Order: sequence, then C-alpha cells, then structure tokens
Amino acid sequence: MVDSKQQWKAWLYLSPAIVLLLVFTVWPIINTVRMAFLDNYSGLQAAGGETFSFGIENFTRVVKARRFIDCLRNTMLLCVLTVPISTMLALLIAVTLNSIKPLQKTLQTIFFLPYVTNSIAIGMVFAAMFNIVGSFYGTDRQLVTTAGIINNVINFFSTTFTGKEAMVNWINIGSAYRENIIVMTVYIVWNALPFKILILLGGLQSINKQYYDAARVDGTSRTRVFWRITVPLLSPMLAYVIITGFIGGFKEYTSIVGIFGENMGPANDRDRLNTMVGYIYDALENNNQGRASAAALILFGIILVVTLLNLYVSKKRVHY
Amino acid sequence: MSDENKEIRNDIKAPKSTADSSYAAKAVMSEKDLKKTAAAQTVMQILVKFLVYAFLIIMAIIVLFPFYWMINSSLKTLSEYREVVPTFWPRKIMFSNYLEAYNAANLGRLFFNTVIVGVVSTLLSLVITVLSAFAFARLEFKGKNLLFAGLLATMMIPGELFTITNYTTVTNLGWRNTYTVLIVPFLVSVFYIYLLRQNFLQIPNELYLAAKVDGTSDIKYLWRVMIPLSLPTLISITILKMMGAWNSYIWPRLVANDEAHRLITNGLRNAFKDTTGDVNYPVQMAAVALVSFPLFLVFVFLRKYIMKGVSRSGIKG
Amino acid sequence: MKVVLEHVTKRFPNRDKKVKTEVTAVNDISFEIPDGKLIGLLGPSGCGKSTTLYMICGLQKLTEGRIFFGDEDVTELSPENRGVGLVFQNYALYPHMTVKQNIMFPLENLKGADKLTKDEMLERTLKVAKLVQIDELLERKPSELSGGQQQRVAIARALVKMPRVLLLDEPLSNLDARLRLQTREEIRRIQRETNITTVFVTHDQEEAMSISDQIVVMKLGVVQQMGVPQMVYNDPANLFVAKFLGTPPVNVFRGLIKGQALYIGNEKICDTPGVSDRGVYVGIRPEGFIFNPNGVLTCDFKNVEVMGGAISIVTGHADSESPIIRATVMDEVRIPEGTPSVKFDIKPNKLYVFDKETEERIYF
Repeated sequence: MVDSKQQWKAWLYLSPAIVLLLVFTVWPIINTVRMAFLDNYSGLQAAGGETFSFGIENFTRVVKARRFIDCLRNTMLLCVLTVPISTMLALLIAVTLNSIKPLQKTLQTIFFLPYVTNSIAIGMVFAAMFNIVGSFYGTDRQLVTTAGIINNVINFFSTTFTGKEAMVNWINIGSAYRENIIVMTVYIVWNALPFKILILLGGLQSINKQYYDAARVDGTSRTRVFWRITVPLLSPMLAYVIITGFIGGFKEYTSIVGIFGENMGPANDRDRLNTMVGYIYDALENNNQGRASAAALILFGIILVVTLLNLYVSKKRVHY
Repeated sequence: MSDENKEIRNDIKAPKSTADSSYAAKAVMSEKDLKKTAAAQTVMQILVKFLVYAFLIIMAIIVLFPFYWMINSSLKTLSEYREVVPTFWPRKIMFSNYLEAYNAANLGRLFFNTVIVGVVSTLLSLVITVLSAFAFARLEFKGKNLLFAGLLATMMIPGELFTITNYTTVTNLGWRNTYTVLIVPFLVSVFYIYLLRQNFLQIPNELYLAAKVDGTSDIKYLWRVMIPLSLPTLISITILKMMGAWNSYIWPRLVANDEAHRLITNGLRNAFKDTTGDVNYPVQMAAVALVSFPLFLVFVFLRKYIMKGVSRSGIKG
Repeated sequence: MKVVLEHVTKRFPNRDKKVKTEVTAVNDISFEIPDGKLIGLLGPSGCGKSTTLYMICGLQKLTEGRIFFGDEDVTELSPENRGVGLVFQNYALYPHMTVKQNIMFPLENLKGADKLTKDEMLERTLKVAKLVQIDELLERKPSELSGGQQQRVAIARALVKMPRVLLLDEPLSNLDARLRLQTREEIRRIQRETNITTVFVTHDQEEAMSISDQIVVMKLGVVQQMGVPQMVYNDPANLFVAKFLGTPPVNVFRGLIKGQALYIGNEKICDTPGVSDRGVYVGIRPEGFIFNPNGVLTCDFKNVEVMGGAISIVTGHADSESPIIRATVMDEVRIPEGTPSVKFDIKPNKLYVFDKETEERIYF
C-alpha cells in the first residue's frame, strides 16, 4: 500500500540527509577510488590543468615507501599489543566486578571514567607522568631534576628491593623505540578499558545466575567455571570488543599526538611512531591526494580483512 | 525391555555403591574433619574475596591516578613540580596556574568556538536524524530497503577515506576557516539514524494511524508522540554529539586551524606544542584540567545516558 | 541417605535497605526425610519451600539450625562437598555444550581419589542417559530439544555424579499440561530405580500428591503438616492444609458448636462430644456429601455439572465461605430442573472442624 503522498513526503524528509550524504560520503568514496588509480594525482596540479594517467603507481609507491612501512609496522604492533592486553584486563576486571556486591556501582563508575576524556588532553598528562626534566644520558644522573612520577615509582621499588637506581628514558630525546611503544601501549590500554569493561560487564550481567549455581553444586573450580562457562557464554561480547578493538587500533592516531605531539615521536626522531592514519594526513597535507587515497584504500582493505577474519573465527568459536 | 531396564537399574545401583563408599568415607569423617573442611571453605572464600577487592582497588587507583596527577601538578608552583622527590599534594596551592593557562591558550575563545560548533551541529543533526528515522520507520516508499541497506554499508568504511575528498570539496566551496566547515560535513550520522529508527519502530504503528484519522500532521505527531517516547535515545545522541565536538581533532586541524575558529582540542595541542623536556607543566596541566572539567560534569550528571548510548554504539565521540 | 532438618531458620535482609528489619523466609522448621523416599515440598509461592530446598543444597546459608545427611552435619559445608544433585526450575543447561558435554560436566570436576578416566566418564554418561531415555540425543545442543527432553537432560546431569540427595526445584512448571503428567511419572520411575533420596518443590498440590511418598506442606516459612499424601488429605491438621489440598477444593462453612453439637445455620450436623461452645469453620470435602432428601444440611440448588463418571452438584449456602459449594456424587442421582434446594448427609470422615480463632483442627 504505497500511496503517492507518502512517497514524496518520505523523500522530502530524507532530502537533507541524502544531499549531505551524496556530497560528503558517496562522492568521496567514488573520488577516492578514482584518485587512487590516477598515477601521482595531486589536487594542486589537477587545478592547474594537468592530467594524470590511469595506473596503480600510487599503490606501488606507497607500499614501497619506507615511511609507509614504518607506519604500518607501528600500527600493527600497537594493535597486536593493545587489543589482547586490554581485552584480557577488561575481562578480568568485568568478571571480578560482577562477583562483588559492595562497592560494585562505585567501581563501575570509576572504571568508566576514562571514556569521557579527551585523548589529546589526557595524553598530555601521561606525557607529564613519563617525562624527565633535565638531560638524561643514562650515567650522569646529576642532571636529572625531575624524573617523572613513573620513574619515581620504579626507582622507589628498585632501590628498595635491589638497592640499585633504575630510571628509564621513556619519551625524551634519545629514548628507545621499545620504551616509546611501551608508553603508547600503556596509554592506549588505559583508554580502551572503559568501553570494553562496559560491554563485557553488560554481557556478564545478562548471563543467567543459575548456570553458576549449577556449577557450584557440581563443585566446579573457579578457573573451570571461568573457561568453560563464563568465556563461552560471553563469547559474542568478546568477539564484539575484539573486532571493534582492532578497527579502532588500525585507526590509532590521536593518542600518539596526545603523548608525542605532532612530532609523532621523540624530539630527535620525528615521525618515529607515525601510523597509517598519520601517513594519510601527511600525504594529504603535501597535496599528494593520489597516494593518500591509495593508503586509505589499503587501510580499508586491512580493516575489512581483519574484520572478516575475526567474524570467521568467531563463527567457529562463538557459541550460539 | 524389562530385562534391559533391570540391567540399567543394576548398573546405576552398582556404581552408586562405589560412589556411596566415597561418600561413606566422608560420612564417617569425624566431627573434627567436618569442621576442618568447613573452615577451609571459609578461609578460601575470604581469601578470594580479599584478592578480588585488592585487584579491583589497585586497578581503580591506576585508572584514577592520571586524573589525580593532573590536578596535583596543576596546583603546584613550577619549582615544586621540579623537585626530585615529588610531593603528593602541593605545599602551596597555585590557583593562578589556571588563570595563566586560560590566558596562554586563549581558552575563552576556544570554549566559545567549541560550544557554538557543538550546539549548532547537534541541533541540526537531531533534526535531520529525526526526519530520516521517521521516514525509514513509518513511511512507505519505493526503494526504502535498498536505500537503508546502502546507508548501513557506508558505516563499514573508515572516515579517513572520506576526509581526503572532503578536504578538497570544502576548499573548493571556500569553506576553509569557517564554522560551516566544522558543522556541515558531519551532520548526518548513519548510525544515529539507525539507532533512532529502531527506537521509532518499537512505537506501535496504530498510534500513527490514529493520529492520521484525527487529522494530526506528521510534524505534530513527531513532536507530540515520537520524540517524547524516544527521548532517552535522543539524549544519548545529543551527549555523544557534543562530546564529539569537544574531542574532535583531526578534521578541525586540517580545515579550520586559525585563531578565530580553532576548537578546544586543537587549541590545547597548539598552545602547548612541547610534551617532553623542560615544559611548564603546572600551567599545561591546569589547561588540561580546564578542558577535561566540562566532560567530568557531563559524566557525573548524565552517566546513565552515556553508558546506554555507548553500549549500543561502540563509537567514541 | 536420610536428611534431617533441625530448627532451620532463614532470614533475609529487607530488600528496601532503609528498613532495618529482616524478612523471615523460613521459620524454625524441623523434619526428617527418610532414606530413599521421594518427598514433595508443597506450598503457595513465598512459603519458603524453594529457600528450604536451596538450604538443603547448600546454595543458601542457614541463619539458624542444623542440617544432617545421615549422621553427618553438613550445615557448614558448601554444595560441592555435600554430594547433592540439583535440577533447576528452568534447567540451567549450558547452552554452548551438547547434551553429552552437559551431562559429563559434573564428572570432569571430580578431583583426587574420585577422579575418573575419560572412558569411565563416558560410560557413566551413557548409562544415565539411558536411564532417563535421552541416549539418542547426546550430540544435540539444548536449544534443539523440547522442554521435556531438556528436563531429562537436567535430571541426568544431576544424577550422573550419583548424589546422596537429589533436589528438584519446580521440575514440572515449565512443561505443558500433557508433558507434565508424563514427566511426573518419569520422575517417579527414575527415583524408584535409583533409590536416591529425592526432594522436590512444587506449588501444585496435585503434582505433589500424585508422586510423593510423603509431602511437607508449608505456609509463610512454617511447616503445617507432613505425612503420606493420602493421610494428609484425609486428616488435615488445620484449615490451611485442608483448603490447599484437593481438587475441587474443600467446602468451608461458618459453623457453631453449641451444647456439644455442630450447627451450620440452624441445622444440626452432628454431635461433637467433649468440645466446648465456640465459633468454628467446617470443612467438607466434595466427596463427603451424600445426596439424601432427608439429609442434615440444606443447600440452595444451582446446577449440575457432569464430569464423566461422577457429577458435581453445585449449590450455595448462606454460611458458606465461598459463593458456590461443590458436592461430588455418583451419577445415578437425578435432580429436576428448578428444584429450589437439596439436602445432604455428611460422611463423618470427610468433615473437619477448625477453631475460628486459631484455625487449628478440633478433634472429637
């Protein structure tokens, strides 16, 4: 029963959304694919009347570029580190949180707090916590004035238990790649926890308590209850947080800007921690739309593959 | 059949006696052993409870620590901040850091810009979302399902892919360094349309038909029935949209990074370019605290809506 | 295994946290369940029967009192150390495991001396599956089973570790009427074959009466009466038990004891030697009426309901507690349409007199 009055009314109501989507979503999809396959396409030169030949040079150039490989490696590394760590930690917190009564609401609120923060702003706080004021060359500690609270804590335990001082150059000039990655991992995990805890706790609370009573009557140990009942019954939620975690991880950018600034690395090594998204924006700012488009399509392809892979695995593993 | 049954019965009974013997072993367990088992259970339970609380409280401290450190640092004098042994509460509380931060980063202007962009884009976005969701939920038109599926498909594509072309588009439109460029490109959110449509679908269609019979106009029906009934979703959308404006960084940095139109996150990052080395951290932390504070207020008062919206969306901001 | 409850009390904190008072769910109950019997815990919802079951199981802690399995005091023991099997109202089958995995799950938990090899586990699983007749369904998931089949799997899972006591929480409430009849016979059969002391909870008196060796009738956390079903039915200890057992329910009249005789209205029903004058409730079972034109009790005739072999004469009476009175009589009785009233004699063993104040039975 489609009456014509409803027809034009529907299109009227939808028109603002459709117009905006055509301009800012549909056209970009087409145009990005077009630019990606025009060799060395540049917006500036195109405006100057230059024409570009069709080809896949953008892709080959991007894939061969050391800078891109570095970005890809950083992104992958951060993904592979942060997604499992944050998922496991969130699962542990959600399960323990679900098992207590007093303080549950308070703690739940605390664990959600990092969600409503600005990742640039809090990144600056993390930078302050890891930062060392003064020169730091490992041996001459006299020059260090403020070692940052994290170093203070490490030092406290180190001198108490081993009698040795231990200070680490996390993010300053001369810091090592490994330390940089550790800092980023800590920050990204801290940032990723609230969402995962929220979803997993919601999932846990919807599991019928009688499964646990039944397991208790049968004398099931806590570890077995966790692996044989909780994890399988939670598997749809787990799959969800892992997939969204990977998608978010591949688009990591602002948390690095938060800690390292637009330098994307320690002061002496610019762009050391740059990511895929960062690479796309850099290419864009250099008026290299062809390469930016190619990189964006590669990013899309990776996300698609990872998501499909995840879905495939969870089809086999996720119960019901 | 009966023979078989009998056999089963015997089978069940036979091992039962062996099982019983193990229970019997427990049965002859002396009073002392019984008490021991009971005591072991209690000790185990208390120990586990203790460990669980210890873990959660330590994690909570880790989660909260950056906030505490931000506030602690923001209230110190620079010289106190630089002491080798850190103080865990400032000796002299320096509220002046906040004033200095406010001026240094031109925070007043940044707040103003962000609020303008946030409020305008939220309002327009709500109107567009409500109208589209209504059309998808209540009206019949050709190609409805196809169009809706097409919209959902765009959700799969990472935003970076759009940005490249949009950057050129807004430049050609001459929108660079205006409020428009910060508002218009992101007015339509497919996800919010989807969310609201689901909500609208739960409202019985009979209500709409009844309104039609009474001669109520669509807009009036939307305003009087649909919107009140889906208010929680609309509130969630509003909060997430506002938070999005507050936290957006990449797009504003690309297209509107001038003094007049800069948004809060960019302004903050721009005013304090250095993160490492000898930075005036107390003032920087004061600025960070000022930027974070409105978010905390929103969190304290509207936590319920944020959590509800987030658990259904999984999108930050 | 004999199960003994001694002065068992359970108090819960009030749900409204502002109110300090506690809610007493089970109040000082004591009874003994003989070895190898099937016992029905019966009562209206909120009477504390499920709480009692959970306390026997160990999932709920006692506020006061002791519970013994045989001579062993299990009060402080957690469920896994008690050797009980529990079947939940909605079965609580693990949805991600097959029937076989579900049944085997408790066996995999056994530790130390009780530990079984894979083959032993499989053997016991198959045996118990045969016992409850689901051996064809072992590879299915619970979601692929009917309600009755799920029920059997749940029983199998509870039985497989050979519990000392089997506990069933409202085992039939999630089944439709036809399956309910079938399954309750099934439970009876399984209990007989395994000879495990079994306690089940139900609010359906017919269900409890039909399969239990003994029933325990509870109300507001207090045991009202315990005994063989027929005995409790024939000899209720108070008005509540009399009303709760039997379909159609007992007919209750307001009556009076005057000069060692029982009156309903102005009609003298019978002599009550040794009972002092007072107001009473009189309970008469539907089958306690004998149609007799010269009977002692006159009721206003309403209509006749035919129910197969017997008929129900539906009447009313000014002193009846409910608007209608049902009398079940054999079908040779014929009452012409439009008869204003009918008279009955009352079988003395189907008539119970209860004190108006205490609602306790008055024997005479």
